[in-house]
Amino acid sequence: MRRQSPFRESTIGRSIFRSTERETTRDRAAGHWASFLLHVYPVKVRRRELGFRYSWYLGVISAVLLISLVVSGVYLMFFYVPSPASAYGDIQSLHTDVAFGQFIRNTHRWAAHLMVIAVAAHAARVFYRGAYKPPREFNWVVGVVLLLLTLLLSFTGYLLPWDQLAYWAVTVGTSMADFVPIFGDVIRETLLGGTQVGSETLLRFYVLHVAVLPLLAFGVLMIHLWRWRKDSMLDIANDEEFVDE
Amino acid sequence: MKHEIGRRQFLARGWKLGALLVGAAGAWTSWDVLRSRAEAGLGGVVRAARVDEVPAESTIYIRAAQTYLTRHEDEVIALWQRCPHLGCRVAWCESSGQFECPCHGSTFNRIGEYRSGPSPTGLQPFGVGVVEDEVEVDTGAVGRGPPPGAETIDEPVRGPTCIEGA
Amino acid sequence: MSEHEPAVHEGRRVLGVVPGTPPVGERKVPEDQDLVMVWPHLLVRHAVVAIATLLAVLVVSLLFDAPLRDLANPFETPNPEKAPWYFAALQELLSHFHPLVAGVLVPTAVIVGMAALPYLDRSLYTSPRFRKVAVWTFTLFLTIWFVLTIIGFAFRGPNWSWVWPWQEWHGEL
Repeated sequence: MRRQSPFRESTIGRSIFRSTERETTRDRAAGHWASFLLHVYPVKVRRRELGFRYSWYLGVISAVLLISLVVSGVYLMFFYVPSPASAYGDIQSLHTDVAFGQFIRNTHRWAAHLMVIAVAAHAARVFYRGAYKPPREFNWVVGVVLLLLTLLLSFTGYLLPWDQLAYWAVTVGTSMADFVPIFGDVIRETLLGGTQVGSETLLRFYVLHVAVLPLLAFGVLMIHLWRWRKDSMLDIANDEEFVDE
Repeated sequence: MKHEIGRRQFLARGWKLGALLVGAAGAWTSWDVLRSRAEAGLGGVVRAARVDEVPAESTIYIRAAQTYLTRHEDEVIALWQRCPHLGCRVAWCESSGQFECPCHGSTFNRIGEYRSGPSPTGLQPFGVGVVEDEVEVDTGAVGRGPPPGAETIDEPVRGPTCIEGA
Repeated sequence: MSEHEPAVHEGRRVLGVVPGTPPVGERKVPEDQDLVMVWPHLLVRHAVVAIATLLAVLVVSLLFDAPLRDLANPFETPNPEKAPWYFAALQELLSHFHPLVAGVLVPTAVIVGMAALPYLDRSLYTSPRFRKVAVWTFTLFLTIWFVLTIIGFAFRGPNWSWVWPWQEWHGEL
């Protein structure tokens, strides 16, 4: 039998991990059961779900990108004040004065773009595989909400550097709200906190970007994963793509 | 069969109604807190220029009010620089004698009436007042742009446009 | 008679021959529907995918710097003015249709349509072979959206006029 780490075998280790053996299937299931991080996963999945062809791993890729965005985003928050007077300068000094500042900002920017692509591609792959079919309809709807949240997160983040690209892209983007019947003006002016993009807008987008939307996204993601976990044992009888007639 | 509401049913409905009221109060409060405040950004009255500075054949730009001033039949008109299509800044083009939007190429005549492009209306006017020969622009009072239609001034495009390809 | 008589080999009688796996353990051919442990089979794959994803982000971030244009200036609109690339399709539509259609109705229809998809398409088949209508509709939508995005992102120049991206580049990320 393989030796477990001494820490896991110790009193404290046992109190944390509960189940320390990892040899038999039963051990692994028990370890799974006792682990907070692993409880996101089901204990068993259908074998077809392991392969690249099943999902192209796009869901995992999206989740990994989301986590990397949270990490790099928190780092960026230490060097950024959301006001028109300082935002642009903060980004500039991030590039020049902060160790790895430019790199972290690059990471945040490119991971955000990649995440939009990954989430959209995930939706497309799920569609083509027919994985939204009963009884999994509702998880598809939750996924659509996550796609929207991803777009909103990316869009609110777009304003924060307060450069020409940001200012006018957000001006144009929010002007579309004007054409919503009846409430158009009110919606746009509430989004902007004024008649045009200004300091109030920057603050609002910042709060949405770093607090409101990420919390919402994580909450909805938990529902998404929980539903996936519950459905992992489903045996789709007429799944013609994977079962020979 | 029973038509009167029983105690359990009354309580069940009461709870739901209470929750609804609390929710509505919360929504109203949040709305009241978060809706835009008029004083943010533009919104004040800007003392713009002397009346005799406002040209009749051209426009002058008032940066503080983001406004173009021009004259039409002895009346001063203030036009907001914001394109009614998607909010880009519309520029006055001296060579063509019209307003031209860089984003999607909408054009407007000198007094802001719609000429071409995807904009749904003409330029939005601000309220204007004249106090002791000084033009005051009230940027808090944005009017509706005139709907597309026949232009009321006869000033055709007088030369090359400032935007290529439009 | 002799055909039906069981053969005798080395003192043992063969009662019959049945198809099956050899008696050296249960060597079952793995099926797609079999249940496998997430730990380690799925976790190992996810770990590899996670590392590959992070590596890709790392390499891209080292090679390309995030753009930072001039300080925001409300008095000057850049020409062309581009929305983020994921809204390029919408922006392209907005240059052709009334904003109420392109800016409100189309996005709303796309969102509602996507959310309602599982309730509209009630067939239980999952293979594309048996869902031709759904697959073709979705593919058509995806293609149109993709083409509009590419056009809006790369093929539009000053005043939203047509440019060839290899002659003038106006895409912004």
